[in-house]
Amino acid sequence: MTFHPDILCPFCGLGCGDIGIDRDPSGIAPRPSGCPQADRLFRRSMAVPTDARLGGAAISMDDAIAEAVRLLGSSRAPLIAGLATDVDGVLAALSLAERIGATVDHERSDALFRNLSVLRRFGWSVTTLAELRNRCDLVLVVGPDPAAAFPRLWERWVVPEPAFADGNGRSVVFLGGAPLPETVRCLGGRLETSGVDTGAETDLATLVGRLRTALAGRLANDDPMAALAARLRSARYAVVVWAAGLFEGPQPDLIVEGLVRLIRTVDGTTRCAGLPLSGADNLIGANQACGWRTGFPLRTGFDGGGPLHDPERFDWRTRLRDADVTLWISAFRPETPPLATGGSVIMLAPPETSVAPEPALFIPVGTPGIDHPGDVFRADSVVALHAGALIDRGLPSVAGVIDRMLAALGQNARTREAAGC
Amino acid sequence: MLTKLAGGRLFDPANGRHGEVADLWLRDDRIAADPGPGATPDAVHDVTGKVVMAGAIDIHSHIAGGKVNLARLLMGEEHDRHRFAGHACGHDRIGGGSGIATPSTHTTGARYIEMGFTAAFEPAMLGSNARHAHLEMSDIPYIDTGGYLVLGNDDFLLDLIATNAGQAAVNDYVAWMLTATQSLAVKVVNPGGINAFKFNARSLDLDEAGPHYGVTPRNVLTVLARAVYELGLPHPLHVHGCNLGVPGNVATTLDTIQAASGLPMHMTHIQFHSYDTAGDRKFSSGAAALAEAVNRTPTLSVDIGQVMFGQTVTASADTMAQRHTAPLAHPRKWLAMDIECDAGCGVVPFRYRDTSYVNALQWAIGLELFLLLDDPWRVFLTTDHPNGAPFTFYPELIRLLMDRDYRLAKLAEIHPDAPAHTTLGSITREYTLAEIAIMTRAAPARILGLADRGHLAPGASADITVYSDLPDRRAMFERPDLVFKSGRLVVRDGVLVAMAQGCTHVVRPGFDDLIERRIARHFDERLGLPIKHFRIQDAEIRHGAGPQLHPCRRREVP
Repeated sequence: MTFHPDILCPFCGLGCGDIGIDRDPSGIAPRPSGCPQADRLFRRSMAVPTDARLGGAAISMDDAIAEAVRLLGSSRAPLIAGLATDVDGVLAALSLAERIGATVDHERSDALFRNLSVLRRFGWSVTTLAELRNRCDLVLVVGPDPAAAFPRLWERWVVPEPAFADGNGRSVVFLGGAPLPETVRCLGGRLETSGVDTGAETDLATLVGRLRTALAGRLANDDPMAALAARLRSARYAVVVWAAGLFEGPQPDLIVEGLVRLIRTVDGTTRCAGLPLSGADNLIGANQACGWRTGFPLRTGFDGGGPLHDPERFDWRTRLRDADVTLWISAFRPETPPLATGGSVIMLAPPETSVAPEPALFIPVGTPGIDHPGDVFRADSVVALHAGALIDRGLPSVAGVIDRMLAALGQNARTREAAGC
Repeated sequence: MLTKLAGGRLFDPANGRHGEVADLWLRDDRIAADPGPGATPDAVHDVTGKVVMAGAIDIHSHIAGGKVNLARLLMGEEHDRHRFAGHACGHDRIGGGSGIATPSTHTTGARYIEMGFTAAFEPAMLGSNARHAHLEMSDIPYIDTGGYLVLGNDDFLLDLIATNAGQAAVNDYVAWMLTATQSLAVKVVNPGGINAFKFNARSLDLDEAGPHYGVTPRNVLTVLARAVYELGLPHPLHVHGCNLGVPGNVATTLDTIQAASGLPMHMTHIQFHSYDTAGDRKFSSGAAALAEAVNRTPTLSVDIGQVMFGQTVTASADTMAQRHTAPLAHPRKWLAMDIECDAGCGVVPFRYRDTSYVNALQWAIGLELFLLLDDPWRVFLTTDHPNGAPFTFYPELIRLLMDRDYRLAKLAEIHPDAPAHTTLGSITREYTLAEIAIMTRAAPARILGLADRGHLAPGASADITVYSDLPDRRAMFERPDLVFKSGRLVVRDGVLVAMAQGCTHVVRPGFDDLIERRIARHFDERLGLPIKHFRIQDAEIRHGAGPQLHPCRRREVP
């Protein structure tokens, strides 16, 4: 048995770099990290089937690539989605999409687009995790506890004493959501429970609107929201944290826009910044790579005139309905959502994945940061991290598989050209 | 593969050639000596009468990294309107993407190489965002790249200065960071100002002590300039000074030159730092005074950051300055970001209008600077892409510099009050082809320490551009006849004909690794990331190709 300290975790998007991993001939297992995702997803067995499957029957990798190319090459409405892979995998998927005229989207892009729609039409003022940790004296959490999606957020980025708050410590206030029990334990006295009594009102948009009204000085001074507004105004560096993926109700982007406007108001006199969190399974990396390669965010397709972006039409859930071939990429987790499509599905996923119904073609791939190195972005979008390899199970990377498809497509093109001459 | 370019006029100022007719030989990816009679080239290009130069080098162009990708998001309307299908080229499709001011990666490479540029350097790479910048740069085809590491607002450096850790410790830290982030040079942006803004300071003058650390911008500037000098980095400290865009800032800029006190320094996009306060509008050109100071300071080099009229977007680490620009955003949206106890980023879309007095004057000031600076080895052609204008405006800019009649015609079109506040109308100078070759080839290679780039001697990288000598200099520089990258013909008559990849240039000055313990503590306690995850390995650069290293000449200072 060997122990590997300080391993980088690629899963939720917090980019924890301190995971301890035990490795023995049977596989790897994490030491308890305080994170249910890492504890579960770093547990991998060496004994996994590495064969590709066509209609459930094992086939060679060469045959699998040929079948994928046959399906994708003749597709009239291809979709490449899931897109849960490292940056190299995403770039390879984009090259393939350009070649065959597919649209691309990430499984978890819903959360991202709630934020992006505001960023693209209005802009925003935001910060990153290390600024939160060192500078922030007041955390305002809006909506459900982000720890549901980012388990070690509080422990790693809020519990450490801020370096630049001159010993005044920091407080955490929840608005329109309750801290999870483990968050209460973790934050202890930092959690302010007395501050905001929002009464029966749970509609986030209404709460944010009332807070903005209070900041504008149009609420009575004894309104609890006025007290919160005063707290924001007197904080030296307030950070408003939200996980838009957890917002419920219609038009969650309007809540985000309200928050961005609220932050701008406070930031006009004291410092205040947002921390929009979304980003499991390299969602942010997929969006970044799509951004630099095409000039557009995810939900972009390729037509004869170049890349084309449409946040509604190219949402994978919408596209899935009319796609005749879907290449579903899910390299991080051995699990996939139900894929409601009448077309064929080619799935690139870890071998442990149990899929029902069986896809037309299943190609097992490794997980970045476990089976092969790969780059992933943190949820605050600035920091990219290079996750290393821990075990060799003979599983290819997504980029490796797609590069083989591209090479095969090129050969087909060559054959066609030769025949045409 | 042996290639002959026969009968061209070579503009190769690094080797003292200013239009002499000579054959040029390429062997594989290098320029080769004339192999003598009997040699049988695999390809011969008759370039009789054509102008032959090394590939052009852009020393300051924001082409990659977080702020560029954010700018693409804010410029969605422009990207929707300017979409490019990949150009079919053999079995590849190349150059596809979108955007003008913030082109996507393949489009960036295509637009540069089509103009005969074979290298462009990202001048504002944050350490915390370096891996992203490298991933993005390696996705830009055709051109060489490299990043200048932004320092001077990072809490670690300010703490070193505030605690009097000493110059040696600063040098070790700078060298460690350059190595860890695979950078080519050091840039400082609004020294101390971005950090001060995080403590809610909305301005910071050159000699004003910043909050928390009590360190002045002058202090940061001199400590970094000395570190760069003592480490022997080829490129002097790349300085984006205080008070960008503020009327009257030419005084600060002149003070900044003094602050260097003889240490080499490169002052970037000085157009944005050359404003005086004469006239009713309290906004006038300070170009003449600044040009005079630069002319008599041989340790200084500058690039201009020329403004050209039209829609663009400004993207900068200077959050403090960008907050002042934000109300002028066009379209009306902007973003700001504090980043990782490191620096920040502000993105503000902007439209420069020739009917605006201020914008018209900015345009004139940039040209004035180009024309009043008398040593083309110390002045570089930039628009601070995309901040003054997209880099695709370079051919138009070159025409303005080479053609006085054209320039005067354009001057007559701008806001009528602007000409009175510059000396532009009275300047008769026209740049020569030799000077353009210095400013865009020989000098950039020299100032960055790229020994085998920017010239045409045997052994140099076979990055070559061949132009027709057209009287319309814009047309000439917009569409070269031939462009070779590393010996491969990639553009013919302005059209991409083959794919090529550039390389990433870095320096690695060496350091006393005792500093690593203090840096590691900073990473553990402040940044919440074990230091090993921060370092970028050679294998991460360009899909395993690794970087190209350039030597440093350490200077022991008593």
